[in-house]
Amino acid sequence: MKANNLKKRKYYTVAVFALFRLAALLTAAALAGIVLFLIIKGAGSISWDFLSQSPADSMTKGGIFPAIIGTFYLTAGAMLVALPLGLATAVYLSEYARPGRINSIIRLSVANLAGVPSVIFGLFGLAFFVTKLGLGISILSGSLTLALIIMPTIISASEEALKQIPLSYREASYALGASHWQTVFNVVLPAALPGIITGSVLSLARAAGETAPIMYTAAVFYTLHLPSSLFDPVMALPYHIYKLATVGTHEALVPIRYGSCLVLIGLVLGMSLAAIIIRTKIRRNKQW
Amino acid sequence: MVNDPNAVEVKTLNFFYGEKQALKNINLDIKRNEITALIGPSGCGKSTFLRLLNRMNDLIAGVRLEGKILLNGMDIYAPEAESADIRRRVGMVFQKPNPFPKSIFNNVAYGPMLHGIKNKHGLNRIVESSLRAAALWEEVKDDLHKSALSLSGGQQQRLCLARALAMEPEVLLMDEPTSALDPISTSKIEELVMDLKNSYTVIIVTHNMQQAARISDKTCFFYMGELIESGATDQIFTLPQQRQTENYITGRFG
Repeated sequence: MKANNLKKRKYYTVAVFALFRLAALLTAAALAGIVLFLIIKGAGSISWDFLSQSPADSMTKGGIFPAIIGTFYLTAGAMLVALPLGLATAVYLSEYARPGRINSIIRLSVANLAGVPSVIFGLFGLAFFVTKLGLGISILSGSLTLALIIMPTIISASEEALKQIPLSYREASYALGASHWQTVFNVVLPAALPGIITGSVLSLARAAGETAPIMYTAAVFYTLHLPSSLFDPVMALPYHIYKLATVGTHEALVPIRYGSCLVLIGLVLGMSLAAIIIRTKIRRNKQW
Repeated sequence: MVNDPNAVEVKTLNFFYGEKQALKNINLDIKRNEITALIGPSGCGKSTFLRLLNRMNDLIAGVRLEGKILLNGMDIYAPEAESADIRRRVGMVFQKPNPFPKSIFNNVAYGPMLHGIKNKHGLNRIVESSLRAAALWEEVKDDLHKSALSLSGGQQQRLCLARALAMEPEVLLMDEPTSALDPISTSKIEELVMDLKNSYTVIIVTHNMQQAARISDKTCFFYMGELIESGATDQIFTLPQQRQTENYITGRFG
């Protein structure tokens, strides 16, 4: 009876682990599948001209350079706004705020902000940034809207990273006569930096890929010139892909579509990779 | 102040965590340039007492203190006393080595830099002399810009000691500084502590009674929040006046 029981447990273990492994493999396979599919369909259209030229002949020829640069501006702008604001919020919540009503209201707001559908953000951006503040369809409006979307991710990732810094680091700093702020700035924040960067990478990818928030606030199908100021509208990769997929029926568009998708996913993976390299460097040096 | 031989004077001290009284009516004078060991079973209040001397317990909510603690004549819990200023004057080494995840140099320079020492030459001098005082200089002088986390446990603890010494504190507190170390690292730290008493006043909490007997001049025995007995280490370990002290040092409880 006892031996039987043991045998049974062993089977369970094997079966459960097999299931988990399957789940993990399926996830990896989904990513590999998408990337592979895009490479097969789109790699042919990637060339230096494709990356560096403007579209020509109603999008059927030329490249997608303005859309790449537009996505770059929008993403960088969103990070520039969201990172300091989000980090400051996280530092306040984790290091300064006393538990209480205001604290819970802020936390609740952050959590709910994360749950708002992106198209709502787009419409809010249109109503508030574009119309009310008069910023127009522009890089600025789009960046601000994207910043709102990625703030919750940055806040909760940063807060998590800050909370993981052991009490012993803080104690060591206080014991040397450091003030609260000196401790946060010189010890806690640097030690939390790798975790903060990880959270920011995720939001970076999100900002680059969102379509709905920028379609009302920043993106246009075609621009004659590259943007010259924050108040100019831009082309952007996700919107470009959406338009190519829904508007055009021309055969010549098909490879351009896949090519654009491949560039977008490459851009996101590239940015993530860069952030991971920076994080590894910081972790290795530990010399802040 | 200089004529007064006491670095620390504790007068009718009571301390509470919320409703619970952790220390009861403590009176104690700690002499300058001596090593004072605090011993007693777990939960007896000796660590709580130690952390009152540099106001580390300020970080805990809901605590209350009655009585006075004088550091070289100054009441460290007076309303005008700044906790950061007190901690600058009273150094602390913790139970587990806790170097910052920074370079060896930056660990030692951290305190002086906080307090406004910016010039490279001055910092270099402080770092070298502190590391020498902690007997770590010869081992790390070529690796000052390596991470402190790459050091061994014993080296890390000596680095923490150097970090505290860089502030030239009036009193050095050590909270079971060798409990996480191997015997060889432990004896190195003990030798260092004995050297330090020429320039510093050292108060050390220890669970290791041999350690207390080996290195300290004075020993204080705490039990259930009370200071049962204090006196010359030789006397405490050979002729304890109180029954509880005798029971503890002979290993009947604890």
